[in-house]
Amino acid sequence: MISVENVSHTYRPARGRDVLALDDISLDIQQREFVALLGPSGCGKSTLLYLIGGFLPVEKGAIRIEGAPVGAPGPDRGIVFQHFALFPWKTVQDNVRYGLQKQRLPREEQEKRAQQYIDMVGLKGFEESYPSHLSGGMKQRAALARTLAVEPKMLLMDEPFGALDAQTRSLMQTELLAIWQRTQKTVIFVTHDVHEAVLLAQRVVVMSARPGKVKALVDVKLDKTDPHIARTPAFGEKVDEIWNLVRDEAIKAQ
Amino acid sequence: MKYLPLLLLALIWEAIVQFGLVSRDLLPSLSDVAKAGWQLAKDGEFWTNGAASLWRGSAGLALAIVIGAVLGILMAWWRGVEAFMGPLVEALYPMPKSALIPVTVLWLGFGDGSKILLIFLGCMLPVTLAAYNGARSCEQHLVWSARSLGASRLRVLLDVVLPSALPELLNGIRSALALSFVLLVSSELIVARKGLGYLIGFLGEGGIYDAMFAVVLVVAFLGFFADRLYQAFTDRVLAWRD
Amino acid sequence: MLRLAPWISILALALAWEVFARSGAVTPFMLPRLSTVLERMWADSASGELWQNLGWTMYRSLTGFAIATVLGLALGFAVAFNRVARWLLDPLISVGFPMPKIAFLPIITLWLGFHDLSKISMVVFDAAFPVITATIAATLAVERHLLWSARNLGATERQLLHEVVFPAALPQIMTGLQVALPIALIVCIVAEMKMGGLGLGGAMITASRFADSPGVFAGIVEIALAGYVLVKLMAALRRRLLAWHPEASAPSTV
Repeated sequence: MISVENVSHTYRPARGRDVLALDDISLDIQQREFVALLGPSGCGKSTLLYLIGGFLPVEKGAIRIEGAPVGAPGPDRGIVFQHFALFPWKTVQDNVRYGLQKQRLPREEQEKRAQQYIDMVGLKGFEESYPSHLSGGMKQRAALARTLAVEPKMLLMDEPFGALDAQTRSLMQTELLAIWQRTQKTVIFVTHDVHEAVLLAQRVVVMSARPGKVKALVDVKLDKTDPHIARTPAFGEKVDEIWNLVRDEAIKAQ
Repeated sequence: MKYLPLLLLALIWEAIVQFGLVSRDLLPSLSDVAKAGWQLAKDGEFWTNGAASLWRGSAGLALAIVIGAVLGILMAWWRGVEAFMGPLVEALYPMPKSALIPVTVLWLGFGDGSKILLIFLGCMLPVTLAAYNGARSCEQHLVWSARSLGASRLRVLLDVVLPSALPELLNGIRSALALSFVLLVSSELIVARKGLGYLIGFLGEGGIYDAMFAVVLVVAFLGFFADRLYQAFTDRVLAWRD
Repeated sequence: MLRLAPWISILALALAWEVFARSGAVTPFMLPRLSTVLERMWADSASGELWQNLGWTMYRSLTGFAIATVLGLALGFAVAFNRVARWLLDPLISVGFPMPKIAFLPIITLWLGFHDLSKISMVVFDAAFPVITATIAATLAVERHLLWSARNLGATERQLLHEVVFPAALPQIMTGLQVALPIALIVCIVAEMKMGGLGLGGAMITASRFADSPGVFAGIVEIALAGYVLVKLMAALRRRLLAWHPEASAPSTV
């Protein structure tokens, strides 16, 4: 569904030298796949996500979605950021309704759909709250609801649980898996956490240190519906396997 | 190079007057203004008035800084002082300091004294507030570390609180500096017999507009350069910050 | 922070004033009794003089403030979004900001006469600067991810400006307005003092010329009260507009 063909990207800051963030990346992602982009800081995984999302222009190579070159950002590729990016001046409900307003749905339909997704992420009762009154985990649920509400073809997630404490993160991971299984969306999930990647993804793209290249593609054939999957030996082996691939890159990135 | 637009503005100024687009009575050309300014400098009138303004401004500001900073730090250090002075400071802050012009004249007449008092009273508040906020924001842990290393209360004040308060205090002094210019010029425009502000008014009433423009520009740019110099100075002092 | 009820220290100050004035340590000319000053204010209020002067000063300073706000916002946004505007205006703003712009009053009266137009123009000239700088800083500081999320949810470029940029920049812009308002008042008073006539500034300078000490002190109290009320109103406005903001209380002292 998504094909990345020989994509390279260079950052050209106003001051300072150019930085080659991605070096000739090629990747294919199937529909309904849950793919993790894993690598040390600065390896360009977020950059790749932003290119797919249309936030950065593709200068070298091509990215196609269902055959067509990727264009400006839009609701077909929903994005969720690490620091939530909720509109602080809007209530939870107004935030979730925003994308639906843009689609010019009738008001009643907007409210119905918004409520549906607010309930799905477990924020029922907090519709009238402002983001500043919510905890980190709740903010991320709201951000997720907002993105899901426009029913995008795919979810682009940029280290969405990175700003949460360990317990909340664990809860959110379980919920995300449940939502993915229910909605059957394609998910591209950026993370630097090997454990998280193995837990959530069906396939892990291990990236090298900057400039980012695809170092390895690792299949994770584990049963995502098993709540104790993280304690099985197979899980541990998979984590070790991937960690060995990542370790050298992490050291290089220091 | 980034000040090029200013140069362009100057050129446009000269051009619109030279080409008769604007009457010379309303807007003397830049070259006329420069010539008049040069003449003033040679005459000496500029310097005597300038010296008067400089003396008034510096004295008032110096007093405001010293007393304001001490007061602010005392307010932060002793709860009693703060509880009492706090609401006063908050109530007096929004008062337009220029309202003090007539009362200082009432007390001290048209001379240096009233201007110095005005600037002192007006500029003290921003300095006090900045010193207070700066001292209060001093991390409790720094103070505790110093005490546990054997520093007396006074030493903690001098060695820990003061340096912590410095950035904010310096910022408050910057505001006070700008305010001192405003108060000085305002009072000299209205109630003075010498000084640069007085000179501007005098030249204006006499219809000598090119010289008036010259002094206005000099005063305006003095304010600008004072701020720039101050910033350079504080950058040096605060080099330890980042 | 230990706080006595705020009015206690004001009351103490008032008492100290009255006692000190009655003590004979200073002449009634130097420091008229607070009671005398209050009587004078009462008389001026009854005769309507107080309200007339207050009205003129408020009209001039608030009109100037309003114009400065609109102008400041427009120029601020222009500089933030347009490279040419930035190149042209940046030096003017950074040079003009620390200048004692009141020095230009004689030029303004030369061009615009001795009436309200020049007083209001002087106010606009002085008060616009903090609004411009606050608008520029606020606009440039809007989180990139907020803008990206909005675009991702389907917002057009034009919608971004008033649906995202403006609300996101509002807190800092409000702070700029809270700085500009006292400036408007100060400048208006000075202009009135210079030109005489009606208005609180004019009344005070007349009083000082007639050695009318109670009149001068009454003027100070009136202006202080007016300034205090305006600042409190702005703070209340800020709280209402920014109810969603994480900072519960805004700077009421600026």
